[in-house]
Amino acid sequence: MKTNYLLPNKYKTIGWILFILGLIGGIFMYASNYESDALSINVLSIFNNDSLFGSEKGFFKIIENSILDELIALSIIIGGLIVGFSKERIEDEFIYKLRKDSLVWAIIFNYIVLIFMILFIYNFTFFNVLVFNMFTPLLFFVFRFNFLKLKSNSHEE
Amino acid sequence: MKNNLKVERAIHDMTQADLAIRIGVSRQSINAMEKNKYVPSTVLALKIAKLFKKPVEDIFFLENDD
Repeated sequence: MKTNYLLPNKYKTIGWILFILGLIGGIFMYASNYESDALSINVLSIFNNDSLFGSEKGFFKIIENSILDELIALSIIIGGLIVGFSKERIEDEFIYKLRKDSLVWAIIFNYIVLIFMILFIYNFTFFNVLVFNMFTPLLFFVFRFNFLKLKSNSHEE
Repeated sequence: MKNNLKVERAIHDMTQADLAIRIGVSRQSINAMEKNKYVPSTVLALKIAKLFKKPVEDIFFLENDD
């Protein structure tokens, strides 16, 4: 099966490390209510339209910000993408189909969950839903793909 | 679509893993095909037929609802 968007298999391990470290970091971040001043550095803010956190409104401002949450989010997303889109040890058309089916399943499942969240979660609690929803499509995809792989691996002969 | 991959494999005394290596796919693919959970591509079907030296129609058959 020739595909042009899959990374070589050797990236899979680094993907898993990033993904799992990111998820653990994310859980700690959530448990500490996103309040951390670790790794505060000056960053470029392309656009800021709120004064809730005391920073100036406007375009292209250099502001100080803790980049811990950014690093965690990037780690989950980049790790998840690498895990989901690097080749299996033996990549063939059946694995390709499993990956594709998992993607479709993850998108549908994610939005069904989101519909329920929109209907039944209100006010600032919904902010958490938005945060989780940044990662759930990838998370559901990776879980579903590995679950299907494991399932088709069992029942030898 | 049905197939008699398992029978052909038995005739040639091959395990799922042997067959998988010979045609360059994962063992899961062979397993899924034998359980009729996966319809292989034309390329894969032709490769299998070539390996067993039989016409494709002798290994893969259409079902009534196909």
